[in-house]
This record gives sequence, structure tokens and C-alpha cells, in this order.
Amino acid sequence: MRKKIIGLVLLICVMAAVGGIYLLTGGSGDGKEKETGKTKPKTAVSGYVGGEKIGFLEDEEVLSILGEKYGLEVDYSKAGSLDMMTADLEGRNYLFPSSSIALEYYEELHGSPVQSEILLNTPIVLYTHKMVLDAFDSQGLITKDGDVNYIDMAKLVELIQNDTAWADIGVPELYGTVSVDTTDPARSNSGNMFAALLADVLNGGQTLTPEKVDEILPQLQTIFGKLGYMETSSSDLFSQFLRMGVGATPIAAGYESQIIEYAMLHPEEYESVRDDIVVLYPAPTVWSAHVLIALDDAGKTLIRGLQDEEVQKLAWEKHGFRTGNYEISDKELGVPGIADNITQVAQVPSYDVMRRIIDGLR
Amino acid sequence: MRKRKFGTALTLFLAFALLLTGCAGSPGEAKTEEKERDASAEIMKADGTIRILSGSENEELEAVIDECSQATGVEIEIDYKGSVDIMRALESGAEEYDAVWPASSIWLSMGDVDHLVKHSQSISMTPVVFGIRDSLAEELGFKGKDVSVKDILAAIQGGKMSFCMTSATQSNSGASAYIGFLYALLGKQEGMTAEDLQGEQLRADITELLGGVERSSGSSDWLKDLFLKEDYDAMVNYECLIIDANRQLESEGKEPLYIVYPYDGLSIADSPLGYVDHGDSQKEEAFQAVQQYLLSKEAQSEIEATGRRISANGVSDENKEVFNEEWGVDTERILSPIQMPDADVLMEALNLYQTSFKKPSLNIYCLDFSGSMEGTGEAQLKDAMSQILLQENASRNFLQANAGEVNEVIFFDNTILDIERAADDSDEALAQLYQKVADFQIAGGTDIYNAAAQALAEASSYDLEKYTPAIILMTDGVSDYNYQTFQEAWDILGIDVPVFSITFGTADPTQLEELAEATGGRVFDGTQDLTEAFRSVKGYN
Repeated sequence: MRKKIIGLVLLICVMAAVGGIYLLTGGSGDGKEKETGKTKPKTAVSGYVGGEKIGFLEDEEVLSILGEKYGLEVDYSKAGSLDMMTADLEGRNYLFPSSSIALEYYEELHGSPVQSEILLNTPIVLYTHKMVLDAFDSQGLITKDGDVNYIDMAKLVELIQNDTAWADIGVPELYGTVSVDTTDPARSNSGNMFAALLADVLNGGQTLTPEKVDEILPQLQTIFGKLGYMETSSSDLFSQFLRMGVGATPIAAGYESQIIEYAMLHPEEYESVRDDIVVLYPAPTVWSAHVLIALDDAGKTLIRGLQDEEVQKLAWEKHGFRTGNYEISDKELGVPGIADNITQVAQVPSYDVMRRIIDGLR
Repeated sequence: MRKRKFGTALTLFLAFALLLTGCAGSPGEAKTEEKERDASAEIMKADGTIRILSGSENEELEAVIDECSQATGVEIEIDYKGSVDIMRALESGAEEYDAVWPASSIWLSMGDVDHLVKHSQSISMTPVVFGIRDSLAEELGFKGKDVSVKDILAAIQGGKMSFCMTSATQSNSGASAYIGFLYALLGKQEGMTAEDLQGEQLRADITELLGGVERSSGSSDWLKDLFLKEDYDAMVNYECLIIDANRQLESEGKEPLYIVYPYDGLSIADSPLGYVDHGDSQKEEAFQAVQQYLLSKEAQSEIEATGRRISANGVSDENKEVFNEEWGVDTERILSPIQMPDADVLMEALNLYQTSFKKPSLNIYCLDFSGSMEGTGEAQLKDAMSQILLQENASRNFLQANAGEVNEVIFFDNTILDIERAADDSDEALAQLYQKVADFQIAGGTDIYNAAAQALAEASSYDLEKYTPAIILMTDGVSDYNYQTFQEAWDILGIDVPVFSITFGTADPTQLEELAEATGGRVFDGTQDLTEAFRSVKGYN
């Protein structure tokens, strides 16, 4: 008799346990089902995206606007801006590279796209650490405007070309010579834009023209040849920069948006590195124009969705992409050293020139 | 490859136990239960199973993974492999896995040719360093000063130190150390080129240096195990695994290793865990729950307690004593790693390691042609030998013979039936040897001990300083128990040759495990994944 009662209690407890676990694990799932149950079935869009925009495309607020107002369910695969042009496009609705060079590359390979629009802008910056800033400052490379730091690109290129050891400029803790880590310029946009910038700087500050490519290209090859293995994604390079410290990545080329997004999405982690991390604006810098290439009608809807005023506002405030209408000062962003306006800008060389640079650096 | 499963069965049991006490207990107890739930509210929950292909160095994190599985509700299955092998798996689509977790992101980005990887994040960091017997480090003057790879090379070349490292073509720590050696020998700091690798001087230097490698292994954690079992001077391994080895050495009252950070040959493993997208969103959610857990404060602190670093800015106070300064651990130093060469140069360097630079292998295959192998076993064995001896097959899996390699085959039943040797390391000679295997006929009873003893005798006729020797028993493992025969040969010959076994047919590995244990070898199941078995055996030799 007693055994039976214990058995019954056990059974009840088991049922309660199963129920409890169901509640614990099933709660969030239920919520989602209800939400989606209300709206009509969504159009799934998938495409290739440069890594630096993944935070933006995974933002719940952005996704819910795209879902509710435009009926889109967005999926993506990560790929370098140039890599994605030669990837298998079967079943893809859009490509979201980071420059108009990538768009021209697309046009050369596949012809005119269904539609393409520049949706986000961000300048190329150099990320470094306090210790490197101080060394550069003492070498006369840095101009300060308030808390914004500008680096003289001509002088930086000179240090790089002369194989200047870190020890020679007062940083013996760092092994090797002064260099800027970039993504692979033949595969990913931030590296490619940095190559464009270097090309102009090496050309005496003038936009590199087709006639002068043969003169400048060997110098670019030497500079990039010294970098060894290069990451193919700007987001991977940036997270390595943040994670592995000044020894592993003294300077990394990236997008201005990256640090703003990091500070917004990971405030606690940002706080712990805030005092060490420095944004250097190359003087001059180049703009990176993030262009969405629609491969079909669903891709076109995505362009409309991302042009939505609310989405554009989120793009700047949470993800650091300058969208034109939402210029605000760094005080509001909570990231020190962000320039109000980007004024010293070099022109990215023409597609023909960039194509020869890409091929030359492959 | 080792496998491990982390289930959620315990969660059920715990919840059940909690509720049991809840049923019978006071209201006060029920409150504590609620509090616990609140604390874990931030932990993402998900269903299902994810399969991770991981570097073996993460085997040490099993307790954390287990907790992760219970906290998230995700069942986690892990297969362990060397990082270079993980890159290869990723290159061919990694169909069997939902996530990869190599030692360093370079293997992830090089392997991700199909853009399958998402959400990749570094879980921890640890530098690749030299661990040198404390008294030897003292004697060599390496303690408390900046040491270069060149200093270490000088000690090796002067015969003052021997060391073990993992195979550069399989494991990240071996590959990183090897690239560090090449830079040091080239006298370059960066920008290694394919032309550099063709240099006569470099080839001679690196071949000599790798001649000082005592024992190679396919993966870092196994190297540590091997090191603990035997008596070596030094090993190249992750800081965290040297810390782990030192804990064990000290608990056994043995001399610990002193950690040296060569300033011109350092590299950092950043342990990225990335999702492999095969289009299953439930798996993606499960993966994110697991990753989020591993990056949570609690888990990160536990991971740090295993000797891994979780920040570039030193170590947290609570785990300070793990990073014991007496062992030479230096958490203040800025870790400034060498540069990895670009992908083409790196692959060329790895190829050269496999085919030209590393110590030649001395492989003695003992093939079981006893009656119990008849049929399936025999067919599997002959097919296996075609995979390793026919170079066209072998090169597909990075198994090709290296320069100066010796291959012998001992055919056995309960007697030695025949002994054949490849004339040299050429493709033709190896193909001829294979033909002899293919033509061989099944005979009588089984005695693996007699065969292994004969193999030891064969091995002892070579200058073993010049080779990395291995005995590879290929059998169904069912033998007359005659351990004494092997033990006598081992004692008399006094040479250190590991006995690996690859099993076929209806195998019983018990006896083989005993041999492996005694000699520092391992047992592989040839019916499951033969390439894997050969890759591992080759990694060791």
C-alpha cells in the first residue's frame, strides 16, 4: 500500500517536472509562434553579407520592421564583398557588399542587377591602442581636434615602407615592424578600401589614374606582401583586434561603424576596453558605401525595407552607419573620439584601376 | 579521433529531485528554488543536439561543457581532431557537424571556402609556448630572461635538449611552432614567401631541427598525455596544457616544466567556436544558446580556471594562482605573436613538412593473416594497406611517404609467415610492397605478441635516432595470450617504439589496449574511419 502511494507521488512529481521543464524551455517558443501566427506568411530572403553588417541584420528591431511592414524574413551568409561576387548565387535574393567597386565587379561578371542602392555609409578608420597612439604622437603623425585623432597617412606609409621596427619608435614590447592589419584586399572590402587609400597616398595624394598603376602597384604589393595571412572578414578582424590585445593586432583597418556598434551592443565589454582603444581617422580617408544588390523582386523589397526611415535611424544610432539624415555628435553616441563630420576624403580610384589592384594583390 | 557526449539527462533528474523535495518540503525551500530559476533566467534555453568538431585541447573543458549542456538543455556531442584536420573537414562541407571549434581562427577562415560558418567567436586564448624541465631551463639560462627561438634551436642543435611537438600537418600548436622555427631560421620577422621555402640552407636547417623531435602526435592534448607518461626534456604546447601538465607533475612529486615565451616565435590560439550553417534554424538556436553560455561570466571564469586566458589584459584575481609564476607563467607580458604566412605559402610549408622536412618514419606493419581474419577482416585489411602504400591514394589524405621513409611488413598468424620491406621511399617500391600484401593468403592461429616482438627486433636494427618509429598491428585482436614474449623483447632490446593497433573484422581491442598502454601507442577502429586511424598513426610517427 505504502509503495503504491509513493509510486503515485512519484508519478505526479514526474508529470510536474515534465510540465515545469516544458514551461522553462517552451515559453519563448510559444511566444514566437503566437506573434508570427497573427501576420501573413513572410517572404524569406537570403543573400551574402559583409561581416560588418551582420549585427545590423540580426537586430531584432530592424528585423521586426522588415517583417511587419515589408513581410520579409531575412537570412544571410557571411562572405567578403568581392568573394561573394564569385560565390554560388543559386537561391540567393540579394548581395550586400560594402562598396561600389564590388557593385561594378558584379556588373562585370553578371551584368546589370535588378536594382542596386547605396543604403549605408561609413569611413575607413584605423583601430589601435593607447600605447601605439602615444608612439605615433611622439613621431609627429597625429593631429588632434578635440578628442578626435587624425593620422598623417603619408608619414605612416613612410614608416611602413622603411620597415621601421616598433622598437625604433619606442614600443619594444611589440614584435616586428610597423604595419596595418587589413582584411585580404582581393576578397574583402575594408582591405580593398585601405588599398585604395594607400594607392592615392603613394600617388602623392592624387587619385590614382590608370596611367600610373604600373608605378604604384609594386609598392602596394610589397606593403601587403609583408602582412602574411589576412582575414577575409572585417568583423573577424575587428573582433580579433578587440580580443587579442595590442601584441596581436597593433593596428587594424576597419569601418568607423564597428566601434560604435560594439559600444551600443556590448556596453559592458566596451567599458573594459574603452580607455585603451583608439580610433584614428586617416587623413585623408575614403568612404565605404554599402550597396544592396537585388537579384530579384524579393531583393527589391529588401531595398525598400532598409530605406525605411526607422531602419535608417537604427542603422546610425545602434550600428554606427552614417545614413545622411542622422548626424549626431559623439556625446550622444557614448564613444569618444568619433568625428562629427568626415571632411578629409580621398576619391577611390576608378573601377579599372581597382580591378588591376585587386588582380595584382591576389 | 575521440568522441564525447554531453547529455541533459541529469537536468531531468535534478529537476525531478528538486520537485520531489518541493513536493515534500517546506515553503521556504520552494523559495530557494525560485531564486535559482531567476539567476539562470539570462541563460538561453534550446532543444536538440549539436555536434561539434573540436580541437583536442578542449577536452580539458569537459566539466564546463557538461554544465553548459545542462544549463541550456542542448545535448552536445563532440568529436576531437587536430585543427588542421578541422580545416580539411570544413573544406569538404563538414556535413556531420553543426559547429567547429579549432584552436585558431586561421584554420576556420582558410577552411570556410563555402561560407558556411556564422557566429564565430573566440571562447578563450592561450599562447603556444615551450615547456622545458625546470632544472634544464635553469641550466640553459632560460629562466627569467627573454629567450628567442634561436636560443632554443642552439640548445637543440647542441644536443642539450630534445623536445616533442604535435604534427604540423594536423595540429595548430605544431603548425604554429613550425612556422616560428622557419621564421627564426630565415632570420625574417614577416612576409615568408614560397621562394624562401626553397632555400637550400633553410631546408638543411629545418630538417636538422626537426630531427630533434622525440615524438610527434596528432593533437595537443594527446601530446601532453604522452609527455606525462614518458620522460622528455621539453614540449611545444599551449600554455594552458603546460599548466595542466604541471599540476599533474607536481601532484606526483615530479619536476614541473618552466614556460618559455620565445619572442620571435610566439603565436596565440584564439579558440573560435563557429556555427556551421546547414540550414536548420533549430540547430542555430541551440548553437547560440551554447555559445552564449560559454561566453557568460560564470563559464568564462571556469574556463580561466583551467589556465586559459579570457582577456588580453591579464588574469582575474580569483584565478591568479592558476597562472603560477614559479612555472614561468607571465601574464603581464604583452603577447606579440609572429605573423602567419599567406594561405598558399602556409600550405606549401605544411606540404614540405610532411614530405621532406620531418624525421622519416619507420613503419613496421604487422598484418594478421590468421584464420579468424578470413573473409571480411582480410578484405578490410588489404584495402587499408592500399590506402597507405599506394601513394596516389595516400596523397589524397596527406598520408604520403616522406623522404627516407622505411616501410616493412610482417605477415603473421601464430608464427611469423614472412617479412617484406619496400626497397626505398619511391611510389613504385611501395606499390610492389602492396602487391605482396594483396597476394598474401590466410593461414592458421593468432599470436600478436610474437609479431610485435619480431617487429621490435626489426626496429632495433635501425638507427632510431634518425627515424620516428612505429609498429602498426593490423588485426582482429583475438590472440593467444602470450604477453611474456613481447615483454621479454621489450626488456632485452630496450628501445622505445610505440605499438599502434588498427582493428578489423569482429575486433576485441582488450589485448591491444594493453600493448598500447605499455608502449605509448593507441588503438584505432579500422572499420569506422580508416583514414582517421592512419592520419593519427602518421601524426604520431
